[in-house]
Amino acid sequence: MNIREDARRAARKVLEQGKAQGVLGLREAGDGVSPHLFEDPGDIDSLVVEPKWLLAKLATGILKDLPDDYRLAVMCRGCDERAIVELIKRNQLDGAKIHVIGLACSQEQARACLCTRPYPSEVAAGDVVEGVDPFQDERARTFLEGDQRERMIRWATELKRCVKCYGCRNSCPICVCVPCKLEDDLWVGRGEIPADLISFHLIRAFHLSDTCVACGACQDACPENIPLMLLQISMRAFLMQEYGYEAGTDRERRSPMLSDLTKEPSPGYEIPGWVDSLKDSV
Amino acid sequence: MARCWRNRFRDAWCDMSNRVSNEIKGNTKKTGRGPKAIIFACRWCALIGADGAGKNRVQLPLNFRVIPVECAARVEPDSIIRAFSYGIDGVGVLGCHLGGCRYHNANHRALKRLDLLRKLLDTVGIGSGRLLTSFGTAHEYHQFAAILNEFFQGLREFPPIDEWARAQMTDAGKG
Repeated sequence: MNIREDARRAARKVLEQGKAQGVLGLREAGDGVSPHLFEDPGDIDSLVVEPKWLLAKLATGILKDLPDDYRLAVMCRGCDERAIVELIKRNQLDGAKIHVIGLACSQEQARACLCTRPYPSEVAAGDVVEGVDPFQDERARTFLEGDQRERMIRWATELKRCVKCYGCRNSCPICVCVPCKLEDDLWVGRGEIPADLISFHLIRAFHLSDTCVACGACQDACPENIPLMLLQISMRAFLMQEYGYEAGTDRERRSPMLSDLTKEPSPGYEIPGWVDSLKDSV
Repeated sequence: MARCWRNRFRDAWCDMSNRVSNEIKGNTKKTGRGPKAIIFACRWCALIGADGAGKNRVQLPLNFRVIPVECAARVEPDSIIRAFSYGIDGVGVLGCHLGGCRYHNANHRALKRLDLLRKLLDTVGIGSGRLLTSFGTAHEYHQFAAILNEFFQGLREFPPIDEWARAQMTDAGKG
């Protein structure tokens, strides 16, 4: 089964059945590919599905310029769909306007991204493969576990190559804030050479902590090949372990950070019983 | 006849100054200066504990500043990160008991957020021991003092956070 043919067939069907007025996907252009909004079923012959390129952020952007009743279909990998779900939960996208055409990633792609869930909820093209556990990867473990001093030096060596190009922030599907705190001199000193990197990367990493969908767009975009996704892995594992929460998998459940321990309890904490009146306590 | 009160006063003053300078020497003998910390204290419970510790003259570590906030949930994790980037060795966030926040369990959210932040600090190598959270210091000044003393004890074991910044700037990490 050819993933490209299946994807084209699914896209054509969506347009012909009127489920959406346009399909956002990749198309061959020159020597490479470029994102394109396919509105004519005849154009779909030029649709391609390689390489991995996240379309969730583009979808958010173009929906603002399209008419209000426009329904957009998006060729989504697992991470694209998770990003779209998170954006819908945070009111950045209208769920009624998006139609997802699911693409499953290959084993090589899953391994390259250290992806635990390389498939969307409904797959129209591609074969579903098992996710990869990032804690089993040798290189990732040197950044996540082991001696603290060595880990600190490893991270410092990687992060000091950062030139603050803002590529990670620009390509992240979840980074949609206007104004962005990373452009504020108070939080991330502007114009300093070399730049202060603890504040930039840790502030960004923490802002995304409960929303990061582990798509890897940040490290794909980084011109210095800094392994940015590894900053989030431990926090995602923590959220899974304490609250059973994985960002992007549930359209209804909001992040556990937004509620009390009474609604989203954590196994480590007990709330002491309080009485409201002295009478009850006697 | 009893010694003149001026002598007693001078002796007490010298004794106190010696004790203070020995403290400073004790703090700085390893690194040249003691660890510095910022403590965000919720004004309804933790600040009262801090005040009480001061009034009752309990032994407290040096080199920390208390910043009163309305509620522990007011503290943005970004402020904590920024403090580390400025070279502050440790940050504490002290709030009310978990069932006793007057802002409708806002301290629950602070607790969750800070637990998550601790994970990030651990990953990057700054260390989760640099962030102190305590949600139970209420009017209990001796507990405040004990918590802070323990925190500083831990901080003295870590290298000063400037080393993180220096490791970034130099080629210490190559190879």
